[in-house]
Amino acid sequence: MITLITVIAALYVMAFLAFRVVGLVKEKRGKPPLVILAGGGTGGHVYPLLAIYEEIAKRHPNYRFLYIGVPNKAESHIVPREGIELWYTYSIGYPGLKNPIILAKFLIILLAGSLKCAIKFTIEQPKYLVSTGGYVSAPAIVAAVVLRKVFRIRIGIFLHEQNTVPGQLNHFFGRWADIVFVSFRETMSFFPENGVFSGYPVRRRVQEMLSRSEENSAISVPHGKKVVFVFGGSQGARTINRALVDAIPYLYPYRKKIFIIHGRGLARTEEYDAVKDTEDRISRLDDEIKKELESFYYSQAYFHNIGAVYRIADLVVARSGAGTLNEIAALGKPALLIPKSGLPGDHQVINARAMKNAGAAQVLYEDVRREPDGRVVEFVDGQTLASAILRLLQDPSLLSSMAVAAKSFFRGNAAETIVDCIDYPSKARDLHKSSVKLSRLSVESLPSNDRVLKLLSINYSENPETFNPYQVFDPEDVEYFRYRAVRLLYHPKWQIRNVGVKLVGYLLHRDKVSEILRMITDRTPVSLWLRLLGGDYREVGFIRRNSIRALQIMDIFNADVEEALMIAIDDPYYEVRSEACRAVCHFSNKLAGKDKWLQKILERFNDPSFEVVCEAAKAMGYIGIDGRAVEALLQFAMHPLWQVRYAALLGILRLLERRVICPCDGLVERLGSFILTSTDFVPHFRLKETYRQIVSLCGTTCDE
Amino acid sequence: MFYTIGRLLYEYSDVFSYCRLFNYITFRSIAAALSAVIFVFLCSRPFIMFLHRKNIRDQARDIGLPEVTDKKGTPTMGGVLIIGGVIFSLFLWANWKSPFVWCTVAATLWYGLLGFADDIRKIMRRSGDKGLSERAKLVFQSVFAVIFGYYITGSSSPLKLHSLEFYLPFVKHPVAQLHPVVYICFLYLFIMFVTNSVNLTDGLDGLAITSSLFVLGVLGIFGYVMGNRIYSDYLYFPYVPGSGELTIVAAAFVGAGLGFLWYNAYPAQIFMGDTGSLAIGGAIATMSVLLKQEMLFPIAGGLFVAEALTSQIQDKIGVKLVGRRIFYRAPLHHALQYRGLAEPKVVVRLSIISGILALIALSSLKIR
Repeated sequence: MITLITVIAALYVMAFLAFRVVGLVKEKRGKPPLVILAGGGTGGHVYPLLAIYEEIAKRHPNYRFLYIGVPNKAESHIVPREGIELWYTYSIGYPGLKNPIILAKFLIILLAGSLKCAIKFTIEQPKYLVSTGGYVSAPAIVAAVVLRKVFRIRIGIFLHEQNTVPGQLNHFFGRWADIVFVSFRETMSFFPENGVFSGYPVRRRVQEMLSRSEENSAISVPHGKKVVFVFGGSQGARTINRALVDAIPYLYPYRKKIFIIHGRGLARTEEYDAVKDTEDRISRLDDEIKKELESFYYSQAYFHNIGAVYRIADLVVARSGAGTLNEIAALGKPALLIPKSGLPGDHQVINARAMKNAGAAQVLYEDVRREPDGRVVEFVDGQTLASAILRLLQDPSLLSSMAVAAKSFFRGNAAETIVDCIDYPSKARDLHKSSVKLSRLSVESLPSNDRVLKLLSINYSENPETFNPYQVFDPEDVEYFRYRAVRLLYHPKWQIRNVGVKLVGYLLHRDKVSEILRMITDRTPVSLWLRLLGGDYREVGFIRRNSIRALQIMDIFNADVEEALMIAIDDPYYEVRSEACRAVCHFSNKLAGKDKWLQKILERFNDPSFEVVCEAAKAMGYIGIDGRAVEALLQFAMHPLWQVRYAALLGILRLLERRVICPCDGLVERLGSFILTSTDFVPHFRLKETYRQIVSLCGTTCDE
Repeated sequence: MFYTIGRLLYEYSDVFSYCRLFNYITFRSIAAALSAVIFVFLCSRPFIMFLHRKNIRDQARDIGLPEVTDKKGTPTMGGVLIIGGVIFSLFLWANWKSPFVWCTVAATLWYGLLGFADDIRKIMRRSGDKGLSERAKLVFQSVFAVIFGYYITGSSSPLKLHSLEFYLPFVKHPVAQLHPVVYICFLYLFIMFVTNSVNLTDGLDGLAITSSLFVLGVLGIFGYVMGNRIYSDYLYFPYVPGSGELTIVAAAFVGAGLGFLWYNAYPAQIFMGDTGSLAIGGAIATMSVLLKQEMLFPIAGGLFVAEALTSQIQDKIGVKLVGRRIFYRAPLHHALQYRGLAEPKVVVRLSIISGILALIALSSLKIR
């Protein structure tokens, strides 16, 4: 034990001395100060860092810079072009706590990467570190924090957060940073100690593009055509790329008027190769379209002169990451945004909605579907995208008003503010104080799925006839909730799929009926031990029951629905069978008199579960067409359970209402055989009822 | 109090020989039951009015049965009355120095306090689902269970030599001599199970209290037998001196429970709340342990076991795991309601069942 402590102490002293000695030597040699830049993984982290770099380099031309990154990520493509020294370390994304093996791997890689960085820092003696987040920068930040906190060595740590909701890394390490710069004032609430509201730094070159006259972007656009610039960030977005290629056939008729510039992105992972995938898809287009494709479509993996492309674009179709949004806003371009969902705090959606509310953009939500190979992918329908693009292009006044609104969204001097704060701590303190005052605003949060479900179900139960989700939420929100609901439908956990089914029903998302029907009829068994506990199929009983309920709420009926109901009415789970009988009541005007349904309902009269028998008896009242229905219902006259007898009477009542049978003395005589006593009653709380009456007359809600 | 006074007096002089009456368990039991009833009768009305004034009302969980929502607004925390009645009559009639009394009173108060906290939280947050978290409750319950288990197996245990013996009903001799650690683990699970199952049974007007009355009655009779040298010899029970005091405790509970039932019968004017159900559960559990009749509970309290099992199977296996209902509804009393029985009918039927179970449990006095 003592040896261990001695060894650690010795190492500590040695490390400290090494750092100091190297530092002194460097100082003596008079080398200019070094700034470490860390941040990457995607362009969204790299560009703001480059903007900050430009500003530092402008003010301190003698400074040296070292960019820390990971091979084959966005920074390895972008940074070398800027003439910054790029140095690689090791890092992988934080996998969460679920799988201990992957977590251990993550920790080991992080440790190795941090050690490498720490040694580099010891040798190079950086003045400070600027990071824009992204897991790539984790080792550098860890090394800097450890050197500072444990070895008491002075390295400035400055973080920049681009999004409304901070990433895990910035959120965790923000507490040890000198300053955390934030792009949205709402984000200040996450960093009350050391946050400074600076805005999002946009590269000077992109900004300058505006002031320059019509610059040749190396893309020859035929004169008089509307230019649509479609891109999904530096890595490319699969959804956007595929949607665009799918949209080409619909845009083809307008090829004389529009020109599409497509940034496919640099992604080259196993999962998705942007260039290859896009080319594959293009090659599958009609020959006729392919022949003329070049006249209205141009694609490139990545635009280094993105400002020039923005400049000539009349409409931008993009993701709603903070970086893209700020570039669009800086240049004042109307945009069609396709937010990526499932990100922390849904920040892309929140960003996009902010733009939309300001009148600067339109939003198109992704949809989800299951590929034939079982994978679940997001997609945007090509026709939807094409029509959205065309609609916008046909309305120049809308486009120009969107452009004006976009421009007002931009805060120009973020990079200057950031470098001011780094250089002059007193200024940082002032700005921090003023930023804290702004932070009263909280991040606009969207209701959770459970909350949405609750609101909708309350609304539905109040008046099922006129129910409409648009009465509860904005049409925008309904679109977005539909998207979220659909994502849930494909979740591996049944509990979440169940919520998805309910939401799809209440949101009247009729496009997804086929998926709902698949859930009703899916017969994939669950594992053996779950079956021993009473489980049956992968789409569990609750999901099947709620699917049928959703069909009723959506009020959708066709041959497929009928077929699914036919299967559901023989389901092994009683609640599904009884819900199917209820669905028969609901769709009775389409089913009445069909022999096979009468047959099915009659079969249900012998169901082992009384609940199903009750529902079947009521259903018989809805679909029976002659005296046989009455005969069948009269067989329940002596049933031991009063609920069944009651349901049978309700059925007969319904038959009378529908004038299937006529009221006559004979019927009364036959009904005489009914046992009319009951083991249950509904209590009357006269006091409460009167109270409620008074309260409802007063027009306030009743809350005793 | 009277026990001590009576003892002092008759030991002082023969003039007070009639004070021996205060030494007899039978007399003191009856007196304890009566005084508890009287206490509850006297206090109930003002207490109910007090609860109404303070707006301490039940926050019913809506489970889709019409009656349940109409119960919203009934005052809760009637358990305070039961505990008050029991403590009052034990103060009058019990032997204060008996560790048996102290253990049971401690359990009642501890669990009553836990239930009280839970009830208060539900009322403050105006929701039946937002009481103490399940984990907080378990921790709080565990603390008592562990301390009690440690005490009962230790050297100062009131059960002396019998403390680690394990008895089964209908079997004459102890079936096993357990290791203290094993026994403490067993006690822990037992106490947790009993308290929570009584809590789960508390769902219909008068159901929990009537079924508990039968169990407490059975335990009281067992206490009388085991505390009596002649009867315990005759019926082949372990003789545990002093355990007769538990008869008085049980009698006080029965008295207080009857008094409470007066107001709790359908339609209830007051609910016992978690305060009452946990306190009664704690008392039943401790008394069973002190009388070495742990395994009698599944018989005498068969109803509680059925309620707990149906509820847990439905919730943990059915709804959370395999995604379907295994019973129509759970716990048992809601299943019966769902099958079309009115609430008072369910209560009466289930009470009859607990009565039958109590008789079966009592038959183990002789059949062994």
